[in-house]
Amino acid sequence: MTVLLLIAVGALAGTLGALLGIGGGIVLVPALVLGFDIPVEQAIPASLMCVVASSCSAAAGYVHKHLSDIRLGLSLELATVMGAIAGGMVAAMVAPAMVAVVFGLFTLYVALQMLLLRSPRQEPAAMDDYVPANYPLGISGSFVAGGLSSLLGVGGGPLKVPLMAYGMHVPFKVASATSNLMIGVTGAASVAAYALRGHLKLALVSPLVVGVLGGAYVGSRLMPRVPTAVLKRLFAVVLLVVAGQMLWKGGEGLWPSILK
Amino acid sequence: MAEHPEVSEPEEARAACASVSVVTAEHPAVARNVAVTGGAASLTPPMDGAPMGQPGAGAAAQVRHHHRERAVVGDRWIARVLRVGAVVSGGMFVLSLGLEAMPQSERVHVAIDLLRKGAASLLLVTPVARLAVAGTLLGLRGEWRYMAMAAGVLGLLAIAVGTGIQA
Repeated sequence: MTVLLLIAVGALAGTLGALLGIGGGIVLVPALVLGFDIPVEQAIPASLMCVVASSCSAAAGYVHKHLSDIRLGLSLELATVMGAIAGGMVAAMVAPAMVAVVFGLFTLYVALQMLLLRSPRQEPAAMDDYVPANYPLGISGSFVAGGLSSLLGVGGGPLKVPLMAYGMHVPFKVASATSNLMIGVTGAASVAAYALRGHLKLALVSPLVVGVLGGAYVGSRLMPRVPTAVLKRLFAVVLLVVAGQMLWKGGEGLWPSILK
Repeated sequence: MAEHPEVSEPEEARAACASVSVVTAEHPAVARNVAVTGGAASLTPPMDGAPMGQPGAGAAAQVRHHHRERAVVGDRWIARVLRVGAVVSGGMFVLSLGLEAMPQSERVHVAIDLLRKGAASLLLVTPVARLAVAGTLLGLRGEWRYMAMAAGVLGLLAIAVGTGIQA
């Protein structure tokens, strides 16, 4: 029964991850910790493994349909990995709680803007009718996303999709598909680091990955058919959840020092 | 795809591609991100934007067509690498779950363990292989900048994993 439930949770995370380009860790970590009583140190690597699975399954379809921008992905991937390494190096010097609060507030701002304001920029009529703009912004933003990913354990997707869609004027679906392509590589490197420390539990990973692979396949078939406006709303809701998680995480770290 | 059917509908994609080629001929800068067969940028090569109707335009169009064909093949290879990795590792994980339902013995335990380790390793290697394939294909097309980027990402990831930094 537990195996079936894990497969179902994986399928939900995979579908959401493939639709929005965020990997699905946002669903998995709370579900595993709160719903299955799995320790966080085991839930995070399992969730990262699912991000890799989701990326492989969804990106295969997106690349085949030419929906992922491989060149843009490579450019931003390099900046993300550099940012992740820089984040790993400065991790001992910064307070993760403060970073989590700042990131939470920023995510909340982006989510509310997506939900409440109408975007002045129209999506192009065709997926190929665009030129990525503001490369310096995209590259510096990806560097920050990589740093946050290694400091806070959040995937780069919630930051990189809005960055590409709003900062670089890439169609939302292309941004989501490109993010799906990118998150697999950084996810694999993160899992490798956890696996070397012996934190990867394959008995837990197996049913989750099976569910995620199926869910991501369904999500990648669905995404081109779902109207962009619906995807944006769904993404904004997911961002609100990320903001809540980050503010909670930051608050947990900051409250004791404020109350003293 | 209700909103932009040209991405997944080959018929309309060809029509979109025809209209796009006119735009790219007029605005070469746009060509860098213009479709292979109606989709997003993928491995589409940067085009020279030779004006149509001039001598040599036919040859240039032929070269562009050849480049597009190669780009499509390149994308298919990348998609194939990802799909094979996902399907094979997924199959191995399913098999390991199936074996769990069998009567437990030492041999079954060993088989489950081996299957899971193999599946996890294959899944982790797949995105890295995708990156290597994309870099190689772009290098073969003469796009050294992107090939260097792919090599840079692979090198940095190797450093990160080697030094235990969580990337």
